[in-house]
Amino acid sequence: MATTSEDDAPCDERRRPLVVPGLWLLGALCLLCLASLVIGAGEVGPLASLATLAGHPLGAAAASDEARFVILELRGPRTLIGLAVGAALGVAGALLQTVARNPLAEPGLLGVSAGSAFAIALALVLGASAATLRVSVAQLGALAGCAGVLAAGRLSALGQDPVRLVLTGAVLSGLLGALTSLLLMMDQRAADEIRFWLVGSLAGRRLSDLQAILPSLSLAAVITLSIARPLSALALGERVAVGLGHHPSRVRLLAIAVVALLVGAATAVAGPIAFVGLVVPFAARALAGPDIRRTLWLALLLGPIVVIAADIVARLAVRPSELSLGVITALIGAPVLVAVVRSRRLPSL
Amino acid sequence: MNASSLDSIPHRQGLGDTGSPAASGRHADAVRPPAGYWRLALPMAGKDGAILIDRRALVANLGLIVALLILGGLSLCLGSVTLAPLETTRALLGQGDAMNAFLVQELRLPRLAAGIATGAAFALSGCLMQTLARNRLATPGIIGIDNGATAFAVASVVGLGMSLAPPPLALAGAATATALTFGLAGGVGTRGYRFIVAGIGVGAVFGAVTQLMLARVDIDTANAAYPWTVGSLNARDPASLWALGAALVIGLAISRCIAQALNVLRFSDSVAAGLGIRVRHCRRGALMLSVGLTALAVAVAGPVGMVALIGPELARHVSSPRGVPLMGSALAGALVMVSADLAGRLMLAPLEIPVGIVTAVIGGPLLLWILLRPSRRIC
Repeated sequence: MATTSEDDAPCDERRRPLVVPGLWLLGALCLLCLASLVIGAGEVGPLASLATLAGHPLGAAAASDEARFVILELRGPRTLIGLAVGAALGVAGALLQTVARNPLAEPGLLGVSAGSAFAIALALVLGASAATLRVSVAQLGALAGCAGVLAAGRLSALGQDPVRLVLTGAVLSGLLGALTSLLLMMDQRAADEIRFWLVGSLAGRRLSDLQAILPSLSLAAVITLSIARPLSALALGERVAVGLGHHPSRVRLLAIAVVALLVGAATAVAGPIAFVGLVVPFAARALAGPDIRRTLWLALLLGPIVVIAADIVARLAVRPSELSLGVITALIGAPVLVAVVRSRRLPSL
Repeated sequence: MNASSLDSIPHRQGLGDTGSPAASGRHADAVRPPAGYWRLALPMAGKDGAILIDRRALVANLGLIVALLILGGLSLCLGSVTLAPLETTRALLGQGDAMNAFLVQELRLPRLAAGIATGAAFALSGCLMQTLARNRLATPGIIGIDNGATAFAVASVVGLGMSLAPPPLALAGAATATALTFGLAGGVGTRGYRFIVAGIGVGAVFGAVTQLMLARVDIDTANAAYPWTVGSLNARDPASLWALGAALVIGLAISRCIAQALNVLRFSDSVAAGLGIRVRHCRRGALMLSVGLTALAVAVAGPVGMVALIGPELARHVSSPRGVPLMGSALAGALVMVSADLAGRLMLAPLEIPVGIVTAVIGGPLLLWILLRPSRRIC
């Protein structure tokens, strides 16, 4: 957990070590992971699950086959994928907000997730099969969505007005959503293949899905580490960044590429999930202050916390069936959106 | 539908004429109307009673009515079974083939009526809301009112086991969503974009609540409710349609009465108050009317909110820029709804695309264009 003590930080807030909140969050995340393993909509209750978890490595016979299957084959992968998706969406949100200089910029709201969903639907209708190509296609779509909304922002100088950019993104994602449903109505096979994916959920995902996105996640991690410092310089202004020897446009392009990689990967696995990228950086900034490097570390922990908690609620809310994850995140995220909009002076990043 | 008296400005001579030199002649023939208007003397309103008719608005409304008639005829003729116009007419009159009569009278005619009524109601309420918020983007669908009405109406399906979308619940939902949006955005006013984004947030919550409730019911009920949650004319319910028709008639009458006040309300509040408009009164009335119409239309067709944006936009383009085109919006909305429904029925012939998807595909680019073009006046 890198504290920035060697930096010439102008305000006290930056010096406050991140270790304490970081440890708290880590503890919370571990508890949530455990909860996610032992709580479920099905027959296997928490106590039986705990017994299985405790007994299994020791080879105790107490664990029934069913419990073992549920925990190792269903809930385990689900929890791991929740970790990956949450981290990806949280970090992507923090990066996008920094690049757009806009506390409301969120991949789901700006149409990035809708772009990758549309790309996948298009690829399926054009004849690709669901098993192959999904991740890269989703990432291309995310890139297109990202580029579209940011270009639109630049085109008419929307960048100055954070709220207007969000409105453009909402319109774009509404349009892409309608086009996606139109495509799916035209092609029943494609619709059957991705209907359950399109609502945004972690249910029924396998470990192989996770393996498919791991390369892009690690690439994104490497790039993020390399641009974190230039990004925090960029937050001080274009000129400061140039004066410190960074290339603002190159850094921005890289950051957008990372956002597309992360959102595309997360969408390919879990479907479009909105509002995580809004809530997580919001909370991370509240805990860590405005420095992007600190925010990113916390977002890495907070993202999985939000996604896994939402997933647990999604399992429990309408037992015995399951709810889509997007519903829960919208219920959490929309009030945050309204709160940010209401704050009289939007904090510009 | 007497279009001639609808988008005109009632004008009584002697209350402040345009300063024409002949005004002192005290004779109706001597008064020259301002450019672009026709003057229609009203014998029953006394010697000097007359109304001014906006020529362009009149022509535009007549054109819209003609287009609506043509499209309505097409929508009765076309479908899975294509009927010749003559056959359709005979079927409408109850003659000819019994199958055709059933097709036209029982299936296509109610659908056409629902399309016209919902389109007109959505567009009229959109135009009212845009005018009172002084913001072209502030249509009920965008600020979450549609979603509120949908959520409450779905609650009736889930919780109470009643038939689809009873109007009273939709009304309650729309009122709740409106109160939330206006309340949450209260500090920042309706003019800016923050108001809209607050509305988007409210809409997202209600959308999620709708999904949540649909997930709780058994699959058959959810499937029955689905087309309606994206907006479709398929699942209409006769009682709701009658309620909407009645509300539409009342709404058109009321909006006719407040048209002049709304024309002035486009300017700032102080100007409107100075011209003798009771601003709060008028605004509250327009808001209630708009919310009620939206809710009842949602009860019939589901959230087809984009019509509330496209209709007034179309009306503003064809109609006169002088007034708020209330009647024109209603006509244009009906036109948009009927043509979108027709397109949705014909495009993938055996399948039917819900009208909500068609209007979203048309309305999205339009919204983007409004947002992205070099900023002129918003209202």
